[in-house]
Amino acid sequence: MFLEVQHIVKSFGEEKVVKDLNFSLESKQTLSILGKSGCGKTTMLKTIGGLVASDSGKILLNGEDITETKPEKRNIVYLYQEDLLFPHLNAFENIAFGLRLKKIPEGLIKEEVNHMLQSLELEGQADKMPTELSGGQRQRVSFGRAISTNPSLLLLDEPFGSLDTGTRQRMQELFKKLTAEYKITSLFVTHDLKEAVLMGDQIGFMHDGILKVYEDKKDFIQDPETGVQNEIDFWGGLI
Amino acid sequence: MKIKKSNVSILLFVLIGVVPFAAAFIYALLYSFGVIGVANNGFTLQFWESVLASGIFFKSFLYSFIIALTAVTISVGGALWITLKFKKQLEKRFLSFIIYLPLAIPGVVTGFFTLQLFSKGGFFARISHKFGLITKASEFPDLVNDGLAFGILLSFVTMVMPFFVLLFLNVYKNERVEELSVLAQSLGANPNQIALRVFLPILIKKTWVLIVLYFIFLLGAYEVPLILGQESPQMLSVLIIQEIKQYDLDKISEGYVVAVLYTLIVSAAAIVLFLPKRKSAYAN
Repeated sequence: MFLEVQHIVKSFGEEKVVKDLNFSLESKQTLSILGKSGCGKTTMLKTIGGLVASDSGKILLNGEDITETKPEKRNIVYLYQEDLLFPHLNAFENIAFGLRLKKIPEGLIKEEVNHMLQSLELEGQADKMPTELSGGQRQRVSFGRAISTNPSLLLLDEPFGSLDTGTRQRMQELFKKLTAEYKITSLFVTHDLKEAVLMGDQIGFMHDGILKVYEDKKDFIQDPETGVQNEIDFWGGLI
Repeated sequence: MKIKKSNVSILLFVLIGVVPFAAAFIYALLYSFGVIGVANNGFTLQFWESVLASGIFFKSFLYSFIIALTAVTISVGGALWITLKFKKQLEKRFLSFIIYLPLAIPGVVTGFFTLQLFSKGGFFARISHKFGLITKASEFPDLVNDGLAFGILLSFVTMVMPFFVLLFLNVYKNERVEELSVLAQSLGANPNQIALRVFLPILIKKTWVLIVLYFIFLLGAYEVPLILGQESPQMLSVLIIQEIKQYDLDKISEGYVVAVLYTLIVSAAAIVLFLPKRKSAYAN
């Protein structure tokens, strides 16, 4: 398995936020994780990314134990809920940020960022500052910045939560296209049922700090805890 | 006819902000050319020639420039370091109160405090004497009214640094520098790279206008250099006031020449610095 998370526990004071987290994920796959607000999804992602230290447990990435590795050395990128761009940099420089840290030659940076801008359908926006971009465009730049560093694992924390329905749908399609093109392995956290089903190769459901990963989508749909049956009954009742 | 609200605002701005300044500047300009003034007999370039030939203005301007630049650099650098290292502790109520406190103390009081503490007959000189470090007052180093302007710099830094700490803490919070730092770390940045590529550029670019304004403010500061400055060269405001209040009536016009020159240089610098950047605080 590419990613193996074993018995991760994380508490804040008396409160146990993540309880015995266990799951694994194949390379180039997306695990979408559904859960309500406050169920421990963000803490789980930040623990895997190294941004929050776990109390116990082990994280293996491509066979290597990274539990104690510093976040900047993990090659795991955590993407915030909001389109958090560096306000002092334009779209081009935001995408180039991670590449510049790796001290890649200027010519190659230009080539890669321009290609990324094209993939993100952001041609002509390179010189714009974050305040001059729309919400959807900012989110795409944010994506591009994360993907351009070629991360081993991408952690997405409700990335489309602040977008309107139409933009959200276009972003979902773009995400699918980009993860396939750049062969990205990712954990996609959402509280939207439909989005979880659409985005994930595998689906997990998190409740009160415990993550349950389903064998297939059918199991997920049939589990009454996930709320899928309620949705089906609701929409079926309207017909 | 109904007068538009915006027109009233412009009129008030002109009356309160522009007219008094323009009137004072025109008065100083006319005085400097001998057009007005008790002992003056009409237009002459004599006072300008005298000031420019003596070099007193340029010497004083350079001295003021170096002091203001050093004070702003130390204050901004120190405030950035404090913000970076102690931001969590500074959120505590007691510490934030301690930072606010120096802002409530007027410049003249800070100047006197510094004089009482660091003069040859001051607090530290007496302590040094008590501990046997010096045997007489003259052995205590020149820390006020000195050539290196130690006293002036110390007072300026004491007055200005707390303001910048509060400003940077505010920008740090509003611009979400904490989250951006975590993001940069996630993208592979080490602590030094975070400081150089995220923390510093965001804070400096967002506050550079205020930094420049504080520099101009210190360039023209009066009370502190008056109390703690040396005889020569003097900081600009002290020089101007001294010239204007002299018994030699010719010197009054020369004082106005210095005031006009100072106003022109600062105004030109402000126009050059601020005009191209008015569109956005982050514009490149």
